[in-house]
Amino acid sequence: MSVFGRGQAERETALLAELTELTEHHRANSEQYDRILSALGHKSGASFDSLKSLPWLPVRMFKTHDLKSIPDSEVFKVLTSSGTTGGGASRIYLDKDAAAVQTRQLGATLQEVLGGKRLPMLMVDTIGIIKNRRSFSARGAGVLGMATFGRSHVYALDENDRPDVEAVKGFLEKHGHEPFLIFGFTFMVWQYLYEVARDHKLDLSNGILIHSGGWKKLIDIAVDNSEFRRRFATDTGLTQIYNYYGMIEQIGTVFLEGKSGNSLYCPDFADVIIRNPETWEEQPVGEPGVIEVLSTLPRSYPGHVLLTEDLGVVHGIDDGDWPGKRFSVLGRLPRAEARGCSDTFSGAIAS
Amino acid sequence: MKRRFPAGSDVSSVDELLASISGEPTGGRLKVGDERIVDFLVSFARKLLAPATARRYPELASLGFFLRRGEIGKVLRRLETPAGVLRFGRGLVFHIPPANVDTIFVYSWALSALAGNRNVVRISPRSAGAAEAVVEALNEALKDAHPAVAETQVMVTYDRDDKVTAALSAACDLRVIWGGDRAVNEVRKLPLAPHARDVTFPDRASFALISVEGWVSATPEQRRDVAVGFYNDSYWFDQAACSSPRALFWVGDEVAAQQARTEFRAELSAVLEAKHHVVEPAMAVQKRVSAYGVAADGHATSIAFDGNAVATLELTAAADVPREWLGAGTFPFATLPSLSALVPMVQRKDQTLSVFGFSQEELESLAHELAGRGIDRIVPFGNALTFSDHWDGYDLPAEFTRLVTVQS
Repeated sequence: MSVFGRGQAERETALLAELTELTEHHRANSEQYDRILSALGHKSGASFDSLKSLPWLPVRMFKTHDLKSIPDSEVFKVLTSSGTTGGGASRIYLDKDAAAVQTRQLGATLQEVLGGKRLPMLMVDTIGIIKNRRSFSARGAGVLGMATFGRSHVYALDENDRPDVEAVKGFLEKHGHEPFLIFGFTFMVWQYLYEVARDHKLDLSNGILIHSGGWKKLIDIAVDNSEFRRRFATDTGLTQIYNYYGMIEQIGTVFLEGKSGNSLYCPDFADVIIRNPETWEEQPVGEPGVIEVLSTLPRSYPGHVLLTEDLGVVHGIDDGDWPGKRFSVLGRLPRAEARGCSDTFSGAIAS
Repeated sequence: MKRRFPAGSDVSSVDELLASISGEPTGGRLKVGDERIVDFLVSFARKLLAPATARRYPELASLGFFLRRGEIGKVLRRLETPAGVLRFGRGLVFHIPPANVDTIFVYSWALSALAGNRNVVRISPRSAGAAEAVVEALNEALKDAHPAVAETQVMVTYDRDDKVTAALSAACDLRVIWGGDRAVNEVRKLPLAPHARDVTFPDRASFALISVEGWVSATPEQRRDVAVGFYNDSYWFDQAACSSPRALFWVGDEVAAQQARTEFRAELSAVLEAKHHVVEPAMAVQKRVSAYGVAADGHATSIAFDGNAVATLELTAAADVPREWLGAGTFPFATLPSLSALVPMVQRKDQTLSVFGFSQEELESLAHELAGRGIDRIVPFGNALTFSDHWDGYDLPAEFTRLVTVQS
């Protein structure tokens, strides 16, 4: 059953009811969340007339506070990620149900492009990234989370982070004639797979690439999404390329690129709203702003309506590869820096 | 080490740096209030007050005013001594200023130079903007200055290097550490000569106080002035200077105070609009994160946003006041029944009270109640950031000098 089936109107009606219920659920189970909403003047039990009037939390709240809607005894897994804005790591609390739901929904989302079977999988990363399970990086968590959706994993980098051309060649000899899955972070895919495949004339035409992680480093070398897709297609035969956007604070929810490229789509249980950073009102289609992400998955922590620190733009509604909004991520908000005579926010003063 | 002032070739060692200011200066050793230094500072001040510079960096204009000949004269008159008591510089003063307030190092350096000291100032490699303009103006002013200035004053930039900081610490007679608790604690690990001492500027917090009665009886012009003063105190350094108010307390009747808050918020918004104040989206988000955080912790009962420029929080209790930086233009509010109600909440680290609507007697009586346990300065709105030779409880010119008594 597809998770890319709901048109925008139907989606908004369904999500409004579910997210309103979740808002009440989190208020009832997280004192901190309830205090925030009360301070903002939202009364318990209030109804909301649209998704855009649901109260959002800045995603960085999960770095500054332990926000959860489950008792300590129910905590099954704590996800942490540092991100790039500093100020420590996000801590995301999952109970057993939440952990199962996020894996299931991520699977349902990816199934849309991968089909029902687990495919042979080429990881554009090093096995080292998941070996040390105790000190997990966000990258390691991403790789491990994605590994479940493939089989016969081969890593494209050796343990010293150098491209392992022989391993990739071996993988292609064995699986290159049938559909296979490639996963990695966008910049690494470019640097360690595209360049290696081009230089060694590798055939990736049966591959399905799933990648994420932002474009900043690639934009610096003048490679945007279109160029990325064009060069992969021309030089390696790889045309099934799916970028996605997601964050640990809404684990299990990924906004996936459609097959024509350059637009991300929301699975049926999620949506995005682009907000004007001056007024915080919703931006019209085509106007960039700050991305708010909504998802019905977060039930063990109040992460169902989050204002990200990413900039994005909605390109169109119900007019693309899948129904609903289609959008792009344009980059990150710069970090807020204060001038001041204390070193509190600037690191060591003697530096 | 990069030599910033006097501009010149890089310095390869601390010894070389110290040697450059250790000889007998042309025209003899520096005296307290030495004319050679005074002339240099006055010419430097003129460059800061040049319209182009002052427009670009208003904080440099304040510095320029501070260093006018008349103002310097006032500082020096306070250093006069009775018969038989002579005042001299301490010798070599090592200044470690903060990276992110561009101009504060100039105040402490200038006062120390006026006091007749040789000075080494470490300018952070992260300094920018106004600090660069300062260094430029200093080097400009040096062209017509007495050679003794270049023979006694030096400013350098070096990457974080404990060896260099340690060598300068061991060599100096007085060390001046800005930059907050962590900087002070780190630098303090490096020993001084036994006779030497530190002047430290640790983390501080500051507040604003408005008399509800004073506000109610204020004229529209006075109210506008209050809002303009509060704007300058708060927004100039993104509310992150140690003397920027972190919270605003209303002193008086609770009902009247609520009405006053509404009026004050409107006045402040009008000022921000008139000044075309721009808030970066990242700062707007930062303020939300902080304000929501205060609420999540149970310290705020309500949060309101007047656009992105002004965020106000109603504190659960005045004593819950957050002392940490919440973002530029984020103001916790609380009502206090009287000035005395402030006394139990004040901590050692509290520095400045910006006030409106109180009499000198009321404020002095508050200071007596506080008895020096916190709050080093009480100033009218608009003066929170105005540097003075009395700072953080120190009489700086006195700190920068020593006394010799002579009795025949």
